[in-house]
Amino acid sequence: MRSEAALIEAAKKGSAEAFTDLAGAYRERLLRFLLTRSMSYADAEDALQDTLINAYRYLHSYDSRWRFSTWLYRIAINNASRLRSSATIELGDLSDAEDDPLQHCIAAADRENLWLAARRLLRNEVYTAMWLRYAEDMSVKDIAAVLERSVSWTKVNLLRGRKTLEQGMKKDRTENESKAYG
Amino acid sequence: MDKLAKQLREDAGKIDATISAELDERIRASLQGITPESANEPRGSVRPALFWWASSLTGAAVAIAIIAVINLQAPEPAPVVPQTAQAPLNLPKIEWHARTAVLTSPLEQEIDDLQADLKKAEQAVRQDIDKLF
Repeated sequence: MRSEAALIEAAKKGSAEAFTDLAGAYRERLLRFLLTRSMSYADAEDALQDTLINAYRYLHSYDSRWRFSTWLYRIAINNASRLRSSATIELGDLSDAEDDPLQHCIAAADRENLWLAARRLLRNEVYTAMWLRYAEDMSVKDIAAVLERSVSWTKVNLLRGRKTLEQGMKKDRTENESKAYG
Repeated sequence: MDKLAKQLREDAGKIDATISAELDERIRASLQGITPESANEPRGSVRPALFWWASSLTGAAVAIAIIAVINLQAPEPAPVVPQTAQAPLNLPKIEWHARTAVLTSPLEQEIDDLQADLKKAEQAVRQDIDKLF
């Protein structure tokens, strides 16, 4: 099995197979992220396809000082933004939609999936920062690079995102308890 | 890892994002039809070295030509007639019969003389005004 660097070099020379192998490790993760930002499953799939095509086409612009996933996410976020602007929706609008792809992709559980709550409570950029940090385990420096923000902005907004989410969860718990006890 | 971070990670894992065979095939097919751009590949058409000079000169020449055409085609500007101020009335020259007071006598006498001169001058002015109007 070839290393990531070797696959990148081969893909740069025009090997679509090498790029397919290279992207293979990221496809599901990217689709999962794009699902949280799209109006439908089909939109998320289209965004994934566009992301991979753009990444392959402009692979020469990839700077090896950064992680490949950081660069790939940057492209995915641009595609997701295009999706959003063409459909003119905000993350908050999705939470109530009956055909919300994210709702369909989450197995029924005794409590609400935190990412659904996060999408309802947080701004797009903060949501993305939270996703990259807690779902992708990305470093703050890499998140700042993906979002084209400063490290301090990223730290502050991650903290704010957490606080907002914790407060929202607490509020939901209180409301549920008051309903349960009449 | 704190409780919230752990829960977020678990919940992200609960989002089912399976790549369907159809999507996989679609992605493979679209990648096959693409040639990645190379870093040294020039974008767009190659322009000769003097392209920018030539285009600048052409632009300047066109601008000068347009200015010339516009100026030639523009109608002669109407001569600007300065607004004439109303001609002053030819007033007859008033001869003032005032004399310079020369203090040669005691002050009281001088005042009387000056007042007399003032009266005479006033009468002369009145006569001149009567003549005019």
